[in-house]
Amino acid sequence: MPDAIALRGVTKRFNGTVAVDNLSLAVPAGSIYGFIGPNGSGKTTTLRMIMHILLPDCGEIEVLGSSDTRAARDRVSYLPEERGLYKKMTIRRLLRYYARLKGGTRAQIDVAIEEWMQRMELPGLLDRHVETLSKGMSQKVQFVAAVVSNPRLLILDEPFSGLDPVNAQVLKDAVLEIRRRGATVVFSTHDMSTAEKMCDRIFMIFRGRKVLDGSLESIQDQYGADTVRVRTSQGVAALSGMPDVESVNDFGQMQEVRLKGDPQGFLARLTERGAVYHFEVTRPSLQDIFVRIARPDTHA
Amino acid sequence: MRKTLIVAQSEFATLVRSEAFIVSVILMPVVMASSFLLVRATKDTTDYKDRTFAFVDYSGVIAEPLKAVSDMYNSSTGQGAGPLVRKGARFIPTEVKPDGRSPDQLRLELSERIRRQELFAFVEFPKEVVDPASGAAIKYYSDHPSYSALPQWLRATVNAIVLNERFRQASVDRALVVKLTKPAPIEELGLVERARTGELKEAQQVDAARAYGIPVAVLMLMYITVMSSAPQLLNSVIEEKMSRISEVLIASITPFQLMMGKLMGGVGVSTLLAAIYISGALAVAQYWGGYASAVTPAILLWFFLFLVMSIFMFGSLFVAIGAACNDLKDSQSMMTPVMVIVMLPMFTWASVLRAPDGTMATVLSLIPTAAPFLMMLRISLQPGPPPWQIAASVLVMATTVVVIVWAAGKIFRTGLLMQGKSATVGEMLRWVREK
Repeated sequence: MPDAIALRGVTKRFNGTVAVDNLSLAVPAGSIYGFIGPNGSGKTTTLRMIMHILLPDCGEIEVLGSSDTRAARDRVSYLPEERGLYKKMTIRRLLRYYARLKGGTRAQIDVAIEEWMQRMELPGLLDRHVETLSKGMSQKVQFVAAVVSNPRLLILDEPFSGLDPVNAQVLKDAVLEIRRRGATVVFSTHDMSTAEKMCDRIFMIFRGRKVLDGSLESIQDQYGADTVRVRTSQGVAALSGMPDVESVNDFGQMQEVRLKGDPQGFLARLTERGAVYHFEVTRPSLQDIFVRIARPDTHA
Repeated sequence: MRKTLIVAQSEFATLVRSEAFIVSVILMPVVMASSFLLVRATKDTTDYKDRTFAFVDYSGVIAEPLKAVSDMYNSSTGQGAGPLVRKGARFIPTEVKPDGRSPDQLRLELSERIRRQELFAFVEFPKEVVDPASGAAIKYYSDHPSYSALPQWLRATVNAIVLNERFRQASVDRALVVKLTKPAPIEELGLVERARTGELKEAQQVDAARAYGIPVAVLMLMYITVMSSAPQLLNSVIEEKMSRISEVLIASITPFQLMMGKLMGGVGVSTLLAAIYISGALAVAQYWGGYASAVTPAILLWFFLFLVMSIFMFGSLFVAIGAACNDLKDSQSMMTPVMVIVMLPMFTWASVLRAPDGTMATVLSLIPTAAPFLMMLRISLQPGPPPWQIAASVLVMATTVVVIVWAAGKIFRTGLLMQGKSATVGEMLRWVREK
């Protein structure tokens, strides 16, 4: 399958500061591709370059088979992190305007608007002004604006941030529907569990450089099965001073522990300290991997 | 081009639905007409407060006629014109005799009475006032230096009295002098022309409303239309930048397409606004004196051409400022120089009106930022500037429009995505120089 997006040696600097450094990646067509990385790591800059909003200082970007990213614009939709909606416009006028900029006839656009408004559970709101919408509704309207032109590539910058669980589920279903229709979806997120559950491939950028790229399994394989999840009668206190514990992620009722040594030996020592209710040898979560990369000093 | 037109259409629809446009279309003409009518209605009728003034007549010949004239003036019904027709306050004279007091002492006493508000002013008629060789001046004292009605009235009435006295002393019949010195009137006419039928058409008398009123109205209309339309583009860009709409748009179109769409939308709004104003103004002008024919199709054609170029020129500047600024507050200070440039022609149009074919008028109307106003004024004034000057101003302005749109496009492209701080003028110039 051809790649929907291909970056080769892309670099972008702002006033001498390198925001994206010699980045190469390939997003397979039809996949859901997750961009993760700490704030200021270069995610949005990369997405903006893919959208031709910014131009790279060097390197090549290919979008939907075209090295002229501008030419692919009409087949690509973008949902920015900070929602851009005209407050005084009605939703119908706003959606028509955004969709017409991507092409399509008025009739096609109106049918698509109706369909997506229903799907996003926003029926009967088309003649309301944007300023009267709640934050969640605005976010869903912005999503409709991005998908109503039936894009082949959908780029979403933090699409789930700020949504309540119900609206987040509606949006996740919509993203999956877009993928079912054959489109490629790229989204950036700080929610690691969403990335784990939804993405076919995950890419992590840190300080402008690629640090992870692949399926969740392949990424986890790189880090091995050095993690255990435990629940004990003493909580996190049971783990203090244990020599084979490299780091602990305390969830209160449960602790995620990265080990230096053998899990069975660790279990034996743990049972000496009290009752163990749960012990699971697992691979590190994406959250853990993210933290290991982004804050290596605290996990050393 | 299709996307540019979609942006233009949306911009047009948004702007004509905005409160600013509705205010421009409805409220501004209403306010202007109301102000005009208010000024006319209150011009002569606002001041009905009696003004009592004292006078000291050292000449001995002014007091009695002055009292008689003021009686006539104060009892006037206000009909007609002239120094004996009262339009406002009554002027009540009170004669004060020196009775041995020195002039300085008398002045001090009368000044004190003014301070106590017993009097409004006092006047001294010197002994030699009737002697034309003396050069003696009538002295008017008041603590209301801005009030001009009373001194003006005194100037007219007392001078008439003084002249009468001079003629009387010289044993000359003043009525005869007035008759013999009556100036020969000058009638201002246009040119004679031959009609198609071969008959000579008599020259038309110059009508001030047609000669000056219409050209000035055309100038003002251009100014109001430009000022109502171009700055709105700045607000539109700032709104899109602050709410990150520009990011969504730039994912679909190029910044230049977006800017051109905005400018075209601005042109649409300004031409609609001008068309509404012109239709209304022509209807009013026709109703009140048949002046609609003074606005020829050629004037309208030039008007719309200059208007379109103005919106592209000034609109580009406002769009660039909007893109370079982080919020409306920052944009206000950036706007000031542009506003000054737009307003400069309004400080010079009077001299162009006086001598539309003079060197100053020619030079000013060839300056691109002034051309839409001053060349338009000259075109509306008869006989109009030579065609080469009109062509030159259009050429200079069109070239300037191309340069400014190009430069604004570069500022717009970079500024639109810059968040967090407003650009400095230096940064904007650097963006223009960047490839």
